[in-house]
Amino acid sequence: MKRRTFLAGTGAAAATAVIGSPIALAQRAPNELIWADQLPGNLDPHALFDVPMQGYMVNVYDTLYIYEGNPPKLAPWLASGHTVSDDGLTWTFKLNDGVKFHDDSPLTAEDVVWSFQRLLSIKKGAASAFLPVLDPANVTAPDKSTVVFKLKHSYVPFLSAIPLVAIVNRRVLEPNVKDNDWGQAWLSSHSAGSGVYVLDPETYRPVQQLDLKRNPGHFKGWGHNPQPVEVVRRRNILETTTRINALIKGEIDATDSYLPTDQVERVMKSKTATVSQDESMRVMVLRMNNKKAPLDNVHYRQALSHAFNYKGFISGVLKDYAVRNAGPIPANLWGAPKDLPPYDYNLDKAKELVAKAKAEGAPVDRPIEIHIQQHLAQTTQAAQILQQDLRRIGVTLNIVPNLWPQLVSSTAKPETTPDMWVHWVSTYFVDPENWIGQMYDSSFHGTWKASCWYKNDKVDTLLREARRHSDQAKRTALYEEASRIVVAEAADIWIYNTIELRGLSNRVKGFQFTPVGSGANFRIISLTG
Amino acid sequence: MTRFVLRRLLLALPALFGLLVLTFIMLRVLPHDPSAALAGENATPEQIAAVRKAYGFDEPIWKQFVIYVGQVARADLGNSIISNRPVASDIAWRLPATIELTFASLLFAALVGIPLGTMAAVWHNSPFDHAMRIVTVGGLAIASFWFAIILQIVFSMDLGWLPLRSRYPEGMPPPTAITGLYLVDSLITLRFDQFAAAFKHIVMPAFTLSLGGLASIARFTRAGVLETMQKDFVHYAEAAGYARKRIIWVYVLRNSVVAATTQIGLLFGALISSAVAVEAIFDWPGVGSYAVSAILTSDYKAVLAVTLVVGLIYAVVNIIVDVVHAMLDPRVAENL
Amino acid sequence: MLILKKFLRDIPAVLGLLIISAVCFIAAFAPVIVPDADAVYFGNIINRLQPPSAEYWFGTDNLGRDVFARVIVGTRGALTVALTVVTLAIAIGVPAGLYAGYSNGWGSEIIMRVTDVFLAVPQLILALAIAQLMGRGLESAMAALALTYWPFFCRTVYGEVRRVRNALFVEALQGLGASTSRILFVHVLPNVASPIIVRATIGMGFTILTTAVLGFLGIGAAPPSPDWGLAIAESREYLPESWWAVTFPGLAILVTVLGFNLFGDGLRDLVDPRLRRSR
Repeated sequence: MKRRTFLAGTGAAAATAVIGSPIALAQRAPNELIWADQLPGNLDPHALFDVPMQGYMVNVYDTLYIYEGNPPKLAPWLASGHTVSDDGLTWTFKLNDGVKFHDDSPLTAEDVVWSFQRLLSIKKGAASAFLPVLDPANVTAPDKSTVVFKLKHSYVPFLSAIPLVAIVNRRVLEPNVKDNDWGQAWLSSHSAGSGVYVLDPETYRPVQQLDLKRNPGHFKGWGHNPQPVEVVRRRNILETTTRINALIKGEIDATDSYLPTDQVERVMKSKTATVSQDESMRVMVLRMNNKKAPLDNVHYRQALSHAFNYKGFISGVLKDYAVRNAGPIPANLWGAPKDLPPYDYNLDKAKELVAKAKAEGAPVDRPIEIHIQQHLAQTTQAAQILQQDLRRIGVTLNIVPNLWPQLVSSTAKPETTPDMWVHWVSTYFVDPENWIGQMYDSSFHGTWKASCWYKNDKVDTLLREARRHSDQAKRTALYEEASRIVVAEAADIWIYNTIELRGLSNRVKGFQFTPVGSGANFRIISLTG
Repeated sequence: MTRFVLRRLLLALPALFGLLVLTFIMLRVLPHDPSAALAGENATPEQIAAVRKAYGFDEPIWKQFVIYVGQVARADLGNSIISNRPVASDIAWRLPATIELTFASLLFAALVGIPLGTMAAVWHNSPFDHAMRIVTVGGLAIASFWFAIILQIVFSMDLGWLPLRSRYPEGMPPPTAITGLYLVDSLITLRFDQFAAAFKHIVMPAFTLSLGGLASIARFTRAGVLETMQKDFVHYAEAAGYARKRIIWVYVLRNSVVAATTQIGLLFGALISSAVAVEAIFDWPGVGSYAVSAILTSDYKAVLAVTLVVGLIYAVVNIIVDVVHAMLDPRVAENL
Repeated sequence: MLILKKFLRDIPAVLGLLIISAVCFIAAFAPVIVPDADAVYFGNIINRLQPPSAEYWFGTDNLGRDVFARVIVGTRGALTVALTVVTLAIAIGVPAGLYAGYSNGWGSEIIMRVTDVFLAVPQLILALAIAQLMGRGLESAMAALALTYWPFFCRTVYGEVRRVRNALFVEALQGLGASTSRILFVHVLPNVASPIIVRATIGMGFTILTTAVLGFLGIGAAPPSPDWGLAIAESREYLPESWWAVTFPGLAILVTVLGFNLFGDGLRDLVDPRLRRSR
């Protein structure tokens, strides 16, 4: 064949293929789910604990207890149940029999003990919830199916935090330990679990993609779901616009759960997708550094609390896809006083309060800074809305773009903590402790959750007492009282409790939201068409 | 020729050395205490000291630099502070996608720019020439991230002609990896279905990127053609009775494209820069979108590794361009 | 006046000059065109994302601010940033290039090798790395751009100085005992002025575009600045319904950069008909 003829032939074939190609653009395999939500920074469930990690962990790993439904309820999972000693110090969990890891080895009490020891030794992620009350040596396994925890002092939220700890396979991890790192380097891009889905490590690319395959041998079986998803392709699409367009086009099955509210209608109108709207437990907070003048003045803080246009933001910008929240505890959780009125938007009152603060010697003329998380549009919007109104009462607010890692490390000391910053407190575990407890007890100073540097001995006492009581009615009363105090003293500006908006393709059936993991529980999802 | 290539390589060495110094300074000297950052949030002082020792931060600075150069030479760019994985392997996985995208847009810019430039030269100072100039410079002036979003809305969402994102259909087996470039690999293995799929995905991002190169290629072709047309051989050819079309499109063009090739080296840098935002928007799994996520997570090691790798590629491309240029035009080699 | 005649024949370049004049006019008279300065920064949330109308010519953005006012006032910011960056780059690059070109020895070598290093990395990538380390904000973005743009001036000046260094008049001056700095600034600099002007003009357009990309990536201007790149970044999630909040800032970038590039290209044709370099 002459070279030219060959080239011409190749060209023609290629042209036909391009023009008349039989590949439909959004043609999709029937058992494959494409889930375009953010991926965790790495895959070690003990090294990280944030919302993306929850979405990964609930599928690849099992925990002693899990959260189900909305509002979330604790349910036994690997454990068949537990008992607590009368002094609240000894917690005994009984394990289910016949649980197998992905490598078919049995999951026993030894593995549970090792997992907790690993968490407490590497001291990252969820460890902070346990370190104050639990020593690694005090987790023991008297027999193959019993685990005993001995706490240093009574800590009732312990059970709520149990679903944070993934049980990992010691036999898989130990050969991969390097330099005494508990296998952290290896587990960052591999898995060693027993969960409903298995990671395919070949497909993993950090912050870009990973594939999960169904684990047919999971101990809970698959009787509940006749049409389970065989392969989950998790893809991270950086651009919000691209992500939403891909959903409408049918290229993916789910977006993240924070759709811009202006896009909700557009997705709902499409024939391919819909939006799941679920009230979550995730409070938006404008933090104030209570140790920096003039923010150390209670009247000044109250003035700022009255200067935010809550209705304009929630109804105007967020189109009511959010619920006003008066204090730090999400309104749909116990412990939040139902009759507590939220701060209203009232610039006259704000002006008076600024004058009062000035009379008390607060340097109200100092321009203050608010740090935003630059890739989260809502933080920018909230900051700009506050900025506009503060200008009307003579307060200068400057906006500084920043990022989560830097913000977190800046909150270690009051001097480096910004005057104000914007963030949310998501559900790490379902207990008021997750919000008011870790935000306003001064013993948490130096962590991002307590970055307002609020200190009130009465509140400290109330919160510490609430941790020890096992009676929920009593705890409720304590948390309500503490809430009233921090709100009266305007420790921070609480804005709303989130309604999570997740775009879902019409193929997805059985999606069920729960605040922990934001509904990324693939076990119960099936696909049609 | 061999001497030219060797001399050109030698000339690139100081720049590469400087690049290493620059990234080393940014990596080791500027962050306040890299060991604290590396040891993690809740690290004890002993852990930090251990990290300091393990990474050689307690050594004198020149020795640290020697260690750093040794690491780079072994393609060890360190581990990402976020994913805890070797940055080099993550970049290596993404590199073919970026290279394919930039070369596709260069090719596109050349395919459109050279004929446009030639026509502009033939009808120089005509309305066509002026219009061509305004349109191609307009392409250079357009904000690529803005244009990318518009293309997506029109050609993918409204018209439905092209896929919206990514490099390849989800779940379809990719071409056998030979070069890592999907378009090339699918052609080598004669899998036209795979070629078509990859082609459809690359059209919009490559077009967006190529706009930045169109103007210079058209412009230099125009200048080259104008110059060549004054040369004696053109007049001889005309006198000999060759068709004017044939003279211009075959003989003149062959002699003028040389000028345009010199631009490709410079253009490559501009293209890889705009690729950062364009890749992020088209969800193209390349080095650009990697850089964007690294910026968002403050993964400074990854950002600097991208700087280093892109710098290296840029140097290599420029060497290749110079060598090709010297082969096309031997005078260049003599002047070096 | 031959040169003026030649320039006027170059229609695209004249168009470029007209655009630049118009943009400068808008920047200078922004307070007159948009008398209500508050409209730039303060909007009414109730009026958010309104389409273009008689009241809001370019519509309103996601916080109810007037897009027209923001685009107009944004012109000032864009020109200021571009001028600052180019001036800084000239301030570093031109003296360095003059010195390196005129003197021999290791000082000159070092300068040119440093120039090579900066030229060895694509600008935006280098700017990203620098901005990453210096912290976010317009100042560090500007510093990063200036730091990455001076080598171009240095190279250009270096080449020109090398060319004129051996010219007769320089030798004559040396013979008369003129000091090096006097020779450089009084006699050599005017000879290299035209390539500097060309590069500066094109650099203006290029800087505006790169600043927009940095703003889009979140390491440029901070809200509530009416920066064009930032405006596109902030409004892109309201596409395609609210197209105006993205389209008008995008067009502003396009037209302004087009103006500088067309004019710069025209100047280059006048000064350097052989077109040695582009960008």
